[in-house]
Amino acid sequence: MVSFLFVDPETYRKYKDQVLALSHAVQVDFQEHLPSDQDHPALSDREIGERLGLDERVVREIRCVAERDAYGIEEFEEAARFKDRACRDWARSGMSAVMKPYVDKAKGKS
Amino acid sequence: MSAKETVDFAQAKTELAAEAARSGALLSGVAAAAAFDAAPEGRRPVDVLPRAEAVFVIGGAAPRAGDWVSPNYQHMEVTTTSDRIQTIALKIARVIEDRFGYYAVCVPPGVDRGQQPFVSIMLAAELAGCGSRSLAGPVLHPEYGFMYFAAVITTLPLPSDLPLDQPACPAPECTSMYAAEGTTPCLKVCPLGDGGCLAGKLADGRVVERRYDPVRCATRVQNYWVPGFQHVLKETLAEPDPERQKMMLFSSLFTRTLWSMTYANVSQGQCAECLRVCPVGRERRQKH
Amino acid sequence: MTEGAAQRTREVKELALAAGADVVGIADPKRWAEHVPEGARPADILPGVASVVVVGNRGPTAGAWRSPNHRVMEINGYDFRNDAAIHRVADHIEHRHDHYAIQAPGLPTGGHLPPFSMMLAAVLAGLGTRSLAANIILNPKYGLLYYSACLTTLELEFDPMLEQDVCPHRMCVESYRRFGKTPCLAACPVEEGGCLDGSIGADGRIEHSYYDRERCVSRAMNFGINSFQKALADIVAEQDQERRETMIHSDFFSRSCSAITHYKESVAQCFECMRVCPIGRAERKLK
Repeated sequence: MVSFLFVDPETYRKYKDQVLALSHAVQVDFQEHLPSDQDHPALSDREIGERLGLDERVVREIRCVAERDAYGIEEFEEAARFKDRACRDWARSGMSAVMKPYVDKAKGKS
Repeated sequence: MSAKETVDFAQAKTELAAEAARSGALLSGVAAAAAFDAAPEGRRPVDVLPRAEAVFVIGGAAPRAGDWVSPNYQHMEVTTTSDRIQTIALKIARVIEDRFGYYAVCVPPGVDRGQQPFVSIMLAAELAGCGSRSLAGPVLHPEYGFMYFAAVITTLPLPSDLPLDQPACPAPECTSMYAAEGTTPCLKVCPLGDGGCLAGKLADGRVVERRYDPVRCATRVQNYWVPGFQHVLKETLAEPDPERQKMMLFSSLFTRTLWSMTYANVSQGQCAECLRVCPVGRERRQKH
Repeated sequence: MTEGAAQRTREVKELALAAGADVVGIADPKRWAEHVPEGARPADILPGVASVVVVGNRGPTAGAWRSPNHRVMEINGYDFRNDAAIHRVADHIEHRHDHYAIQAPGLPTGGHLPPFSMMLAAVLAGLGTRSLAANIILNPKYGLLYYSACLTTLELEFDPMLEQDVCPHRMCVESYRRFGKTPCLAACPVEEGGCLDGSIGADGRIEHSYYDRERCVSRAMNFGINSFQKALADIVAEQDQERRETMIHSDFFSRSCSAITHYKESVAQCFECMRVCPIGRAERKLK
């Protein structure tokens, strides 16, 4: 007996990539003046269910797990290092902290 | 102020009521600290504040008329406003201490050990004449119906109010419905005998029996919150397959539960169906 | 619209600003139909909705933006004044005008998804436009703002949507043309493990945008619900009791637990794409 609704691992593995691609997880051309991207249309759970022939609640479960599953826990560890570096570099160097590599590249420097 | 003998207690009560109203409360009242006989020892005002004389009760911050008519039940789960009434209580406590020189302490809105309230705010509201208990459970005010309450215990001997002579529940419509069908709107929407929480009897226009399943109610009112967290954790630890464990911990139920714990002050009341159908205060919920 | 509607609109806007909102705009609920499916529109939350009032507030103070320690803004970034202001607006409409009014639900009810998008509401109320930086809605004056909305059956005058894109700023257009990156795209580039990519067309408008929300979650919601769930999954799967104990007491798990209890104050934990954004910078420059 299932005690509460959660998706079985097999169904999850089968659909997670499709569900994630159709959801808001990756947002492509979201600006109001741009036409919607067909590979990443940012559909609701109901709309995804209609496309994939799945119940809306099953889609929601797959999506919720996939949102958490998209990146490993090490990404969260790395995030703190990224922000620490970016924030301190900005305080020290301002805009060149982010633009310098691209400016150098445009000028032909390595 | 520190000279207690100079305080006009009736005037102090008027000033506090005005302060509460200015801050957004719909009503206020005072219960005598000595009137809490019905509460078990350890859960009375003097157990929180020695020499307590009065409990100043304020009510308000109810869901708005618009909240009640929304067809999306999840809307009220994430936008209720009960925390606003506690903010007003904190302000009143400060006024009592600063302006009148008496001790004042807010009854904590959470629970003490054993999931019991420090002092029953519902009992305080009843004793202060702010409303009466309903078949559905909450204290209802005859005019406004359901609202949230907060209470301030103080050594300031404010003149106390009396409980209502005429209870707000049952409303006349409910008495008529009970005579015709043997049930009321709240009992019908969540019947104890059919998987719900409520049962009761009326006689001579009064509630003469009330049965309530608080455990079932918790599954609805605290659908996503600490109990949900504990249940999912229990199921997860009993599950031997790591992949299924992950499905459980990343599930929508557990995710929502964590959001609810995070925003506990705005999402503790997650079922309002017995009150949605309640006619008490309905006029206040009719807008254009 | 009648003179009465104009007067009511002025009154509601003045009240919102007096209640602490930095900006206020009003949208026609019909505008949603063009952008989101049924179920996510104002009428799905409040039948008969006639107007959507949207307020916006700055998050971090100018001083917080100056701090070299990113943790300062992580736990001190958001004071929810926009929620307080929208409560005042909703109360006013119900009590003064006798019309239905509710705070629009912005908290997630299924994974990351809320029943109602505050970002879209801000765009449709003319308060800003979507940027290259994580699709964040930028206000022309303040840049990044936090939004709350009130749905009401009261008829009010609508604000037009902005005709001019707020993003890209002309400096960013110039930067993109010369170096192939805007500051935000350079701060968090997808090709280097970041969240953002995009391009600007010959007309100076956003031509293409890409935003990896799940990667952004690892940064903007670094410690909290997400990291708690992920760490817990590892903890319960760990067979070695000693290792399990050290995982439970680790700094990572402790910070995750701590962030859950204070999540209201720490809901936004990455500002790096906004830190470099020139829009609203003038408002963040003090003595």
